[in-house]
Amino acid sequence: MPDRGRLAREALAHLDALYDHGRYLTRNAADAEDLVQETYARVLGAAATFAGGNLKAWLFRIQRNAFIDQRRRTRPMAPSFDPATLDTLEGAPAPAGPDELAQLRRMTGVEIEAALFSLSDEARAIVLLDLEGFTETEVADILGCALGTVKSRLSRARAALREKLKDHGR
Amino acid sequence: MTPTDPTDGELDQALGRRPRAAAPAELRRRMEALVADARPARSRRLGRWLAPLGSACAAGLLVWLVIRPPVEPRGARVDMVEEAVNDHLRVVESTHPVEIESGGIHQVKPWFTGRLDFAPRVEFSGDADFPLVGGSVGYFHDRKAAVFHFRHRLHTITLLVFPADRLPWPSRGLHPLGPLAVDEQRSRGFNVLIWREGELGYALVSDVNLADLEQLAPRLNHP
Repeated sequence: MPDRGRLAREALAHLDALYDHGRYLTRNAADAEDLVQETYARVLGAAATFAGGNLKAWLFRIQRNAFIDQRRRTRPMAPSFDPATLDTLEGAPAPAGPDELAQLRRMTGVEIEAALFSLSDEARAIVLLDLEGFTETEVADILGCALGTVKSRLSRARAALREKLKDHGR
Repeated sequence: MTPTDPTDGELDQALGRRPRAAAPAELRRRMEALVADARPARSRRLGRWLAPLGSACAAGLLVWLVIRPPVEPRGARVDMVEEAVNDHLRVVESTHPVEIESGGIHQVKPWFTGRLDFAPRVEFSGDADFPLVGGSVGYFHDRKAAVFHFRHRLHTITLLVFPADRLPWPSRGLHPLGPLAVDEQRSRGFNVLIWREGELGYALVSDVNLADLEQLAPRLNHP
């Protein structure tokens, strides 16, 4: 059985990453703080269930579940946090032309943040998890979906993000 | 995941520029306290046996604390700087950072009446170099703060004014700046000036050059 105190201390090393991800999930600094606090409380409660492996991925999975529960509590009538709500784009996106590439290079951090916030929750989550450096297997584990679906969902989410960035860059 | 075409590469580079925020100092303290309480039961049992020994050590420590030379609380000093930077980031990242738009300091200051339990003392109305954009109410650690928003070219400058009591004010390594004795620090790419005037504390934070902040700080109360 893992040492609960030691696990919790190691989890503290990921506090900044969890807070930053939480801020993007909730779109709000105060809600992100609540989410992180709830995440750590759950981590302490579930320490005995940690089976080893990537601690950061385990923490992000707990945070995702806490976020879903938090949303159900605060917005019970809102659509569920479901992969089916992922922004839909049919087919593989075309490679960007020179104008779009130049626009991407000019994009400021604020514009990129705004485009991320305008994505659906699920699309934003999968793009950000990819940016955190998780493997497809880890992303599948965090999101609770099959490995085979991660790649297509990520591709669709990134295509949706490109469309949003085009809008924000206009 | 590895980019397969130039679009993915550019998109990844763009995403790498997204703003990232560190956990606020207060949240970090709360989580550290939560984790500290999670030590294993065995340690707590051992703690009961060691308690009498601990009491003796605590008494010795108390005597030492009384007779030792004063030492600057380094960690606490860093905390103040981190808190100021986090507050500045909250202003920069906020969609509506300004709650009262500026028509000059004599419009912004009265707006704080009834919103704060102290009167923020700031006399500088802003000028062409440092226009005053407006104000809002924020928090500095455990207390409310008056937040003044200045601009310098395209940069945002945040001034926090808050009650100075019960904070670990440094007494050494201060930089004389006109009538002020200022603690100048740099954290996460931001310059931070912190000082105390009477019962109020001031924190000035921005990514502008230190020299620009040094120009503004003494004018705030002595224009």
